[in-house]
Amino acid sequence: MAWKEMKKNKAKFLIIGAIVFLISLLTFIISGLANGLSQDNVSLIKNMPEGTFYMSEDSDDSHTQSHIDPQKLNETMKEDENAFAFSLQMGALKTESDNQQSVAFLTSTETSLFTRVDSGEVILDSSLKDQGIKVGDQLSSPQFQGTFEVVDFIHNQRFNHSSVAFINQKDFNHMFRTEEFQIIYSPQINEEISGLKAFTKNEFLSTIPSYQAEQMTLNMIVWFLIVISGMLFSIFFYMMNVQKIGMYGILKALGMRTGDLFKMIWSQMGLLTCTSLIASALISQTFQVFAPDTMPYHLPIATTVQLSVVFFVVGFLGSTISGFQIKKIEPLKAIQQGEA
Amino acid sequence: MSRLQLEEVRKSFINGDTEEEVLKGVNLTLREGEVTALIGASGSGKSTLLTIAAGLQRLSEGRVIFGDQNLPDLSSEQVRKIRAQHFGFVFQNSHLVPFLTVEEQLSMMMDIADMKGIKQYKQTKIKEILDQVGMSHRLTAYPSSLSGGEKQRVAVARAIIHEPKILFADEPTASLDSTRSRHTMELIQQLTKSFDMTTLTVTHDEEMLDYVDCIVKMSDGKIVNA
Ligand SMILES: Nc1ncnc2c1ncn2[C@@H]1O[C@H](COP(=O)(O)OP(=O)(O)OP(=O)(O)O)[C@@H](O)[C@H]1O
Ligand SMILES: [Mg+2]
Repeated sequence: MAWKEMKKNKAKFLIIGAIVFLISLLTFIISGLANGLSQDNVSLIKNMPEGTFYMSEDSDDSHTQSHIDPQKLNETMKEDENAFAFSLQMGALKTESDNQQSVAFLTSTETSLFTRVDSGEVILDSSLKDQGIKVGDQLSSPQFQGTFEVVDFIHNQRFNHSSVAFINQKDFNHMFRTEEFQIIYSPQINEEISGLKAFTKNEFLSTIPSYQAEQMTLNMIVWFLIVISGMLFSIFFYMMNVQKIGMYGILKALGMRTGDLFKMIWSQMGLLTCTSLIASALISQTFQVFAPDTMPYHLPIATTVQLSVVFFVVGFLGSTISGFQIKKIEPLKAIQQGEA
Repeated sequence: MSRLQLEEVRKSFINGDTEEEVLKGVNLTLREGEVTALIGASGSGKSTLLTIAAGLQRLSEGRVIFGDQNLPDLSSEQVRKIRAQHFGFVFQNSHLVPFLTVEEQLSMMMDIADMKGIKQYKQTKIKEILDQVGMSHRLTAYPSSLSGGEKQRVAVARAIIHEPKILFADEPTASLDSTRSRHTMELIQQLTKSFDMTTLTVTHDEEMLDYVDCIVKMSDGKIVNA
């Protein structure tokens, strides 16, 4: 019966379906952009597997002020063969044509996560390709006497909204006048190392000042969107059903079970939201593939599914609320309203 | 033989602070195979009585005996079931479901009444009833394409497709012109006989009394002559 109604009133249901589709598409795209922006900020860290980050206790929770005692590092790496140390510093690289780019210099001890780089070489995040930088280019840096030769590009390695530049430890130490690494990373979780402060991945992310502030704004945007579009959803379903309250009353007078009416409402709502959500999920995922590289857009399937579930639940609530309205109506009222 | 019996039925509505008694002790017996017409001035309580008899609203006092059951004693789910299986309704407006074809309206009513049966049986049954009301040529029409009289005939067909024991009709002809009204009443009378139903109808129209077996006049919440 629910299906027959949708077939007869195609236009009406198409409009509601289109609204659900557009609203969810909007939410998907915006959260994709928000997510992309935060990804653009710190994808280097985000792409690392879950693990523990250690900084020195006097670091004030800032990696630039952290310095790991080399002896401690040696001990740790002996105990945990997957552990490695790395350091990050903001700086700049300049092409031969005087194009200066701000980058995050990264160096690390040997690890399978990052490729080894020799002294005088650099591996860059692929976003710098769009700036006309090619493999083989010689780049200089105000902090560095010699030049770096670009040997390779890798995808999605950003830190502090800048491209990451992998360099050799020797060059790094020379540039930033340091002998010590800032951070030890271990894929192990919940391990304490005496004299060092441990951070989970999320805790470490929130020590990055730009990340924390930005994340709050982005989360607010996305949640506002979800709440508002969720309300729109339930209002639409509510309106759709309230319009038909007279008819539901007649059906009740004829002896239809309230449960069957609920089933009818739910199946319509379910069909409508499912189709619309699937369509907008597909489009937002396709958009991901075709979005230009410079546009930060990142929408994992998991997020899409989460949002879809939220919308589904909200739509369900909306139609259930109108269902209660129906439960309350007296069949008699419906008959008499029809007469008036 | 009596099918439905109302005993000392009273109904009051509370209007603000005042309690208004609309039915003041009504006794009425509806007999099998007969059409009973309720007449009386507007506001005399006819619709109230009909809806109470049909289990569509609760009474304040009294008994409504259907078979060996007293409706006020039953739960609303039990009353719903009786309505679905044993009662048929024709309203002043046909109140057809706008998005169902004539055929689907009837098939829906059979589902509501929990009528078991294979598809083929249902289809034959639907054809049979529509033949009786003279609407079998509009099987796949939607209500919006039917005239008022045609809609009411489909509504009558919907009211009897599940072979109810009692047919309730509150001013079934009020929205029809005189010829169509006569046809509809004639149809109701004829179906009451052929299906051995019991029919209670409310009417304002003296002309329609030609088609009833028993006339009950109400005045101020009481039956004045039965
Ligand atoms: N739900 C209600 N709440 C309060 N008063 C009501 C309610 N339903 C009916 N009444 C009152 O009960 C009285 C009888 O109403 P009822 O509808 O039974 O009259 P009727 O005989 O069917 O009139 P009509 O011929 O105009 O249809 C009226 O005075 C009406 O105002
Ligand atoms: Mg009335």
